[in-house]
Amino acid sequence: MVHVEIAAEKLFAIGPLIVTNSMVGALLASILLLLVARWFTRRPGIVPSRGQSLVELPIEFMAGIVRGSGGKRWRQFAPLILAIFLFVLTANWLSLLPGVGTIGLAEKLSDGSSIIVPFVRAGAADLNFTLGLALVSFVSFIAFGLRANGLRGYLKELLVAEPAYMTPLLTPIHLISELSRVISLSMRLFGNVFAGEVLLATMLALTTATLFILPLAFVIPGVFIGLELLFGLVQALVFALLSMTYITLAIAEHRQHGPDQDHSGDAPEQGTAPVHGRA
Amino acid sequence: MDLTKLAAGLAMGLGGIGPGIGLGIAVSKAMEAIGRNPEASGTLFVPYILGLALTEAIGIYALVVSLIILFAAK
Repeated sequence: MVHVEIAAEKLFAIGPLIVTNSMVGALLASILLLLVARWFTRRPGIVPSRGQSLVELPIEFMAGIVRGSGGKRWRQFAPLILAIFLFVLTANWLSLLPGVGTIGLAEKLSDGSSIIVPFVRAGAADLNFTLGLALVSFVSFIAFGLRANGLRGYLKELLVAEPAYMTPLLTPIHLISELSRVISLSMRLFGNVFAGEVLLATMLALTTATLFILPLAFVIPGVFIGLELLFGLVQALVFALLSMTYITLAIAEHRQHGPDQDHSGDAPEQGTAPVHGRA
Repeated sequence: MDLTKLAAGLAMGLGGIGPGIGLGIAVSKAMEAIGRNPEASGTLFVPYILGLALTEAIGIYALVVSLIILFAAK
């Protein structure tokens, strides 16, 4: 039987702050990202070196998507979307390294069996991580909506339905759907990554039953690790794309209205003018 | 008699039906569209992934519920 812990395990505490193994995983991911960014941008060249083009590959991929479907103001939120994508991707792929989730301290349970409390666990296999990221996305799409439409336009968009007499019926639904974005964003990432961890553990446990056919013990978990590589990429992409879509919707909402709307958000695209060398 | 494990299995199994059908429809329509107009595949990519993600979320809810039934609710 595979031991599954749905909450991240506590490693130690600094004062009131409890450090869990998922926090260690997320911290490792951000440290790795910072180091890689620092290392490969020391001497950026117009003709990229091998390492530089490898690092630029995911950035260019994501920047192309944001440019293609982010609307006119994609430059304003492209860094946020890129950061979310790279962070989730790194955290997901780090969790597939050997040693993550397997090396740890042994702990005796109350029923006598002993389990391993790993030092490092996938960052997104903890609801706190995904909920935090989803809240960042939530706050930022509200902030972008406020900035594009002004407080009056934003509140009108939020609280008044299109035919005004439908307001009592539609506004609660609208509010709930705005809030449910946080839940669905966080639950999707958590569910996928956590289920991936459980799946890998189960497959590894199954292979101990088929040890007599030696290659099978290596092949089956290998196939699923390949699958998890794909899922890690897709989930990072989905999280970033959904955040981008919410921000784009919040920015574009005021355009659907008639001429009675105040035009504070229709100012020409200032702040997007300076064009940087590379995307 | 402890029916917790049956409940978890049913939650996941029944909860997988709807998203499965939905994903099947979405993928088949996308493939059809790409087959008719291969140049559109670049334009289709982002809405396709978003649609898959939103559909798949229902299945993930079922998964989270059954994981909670199995491991968290005592």
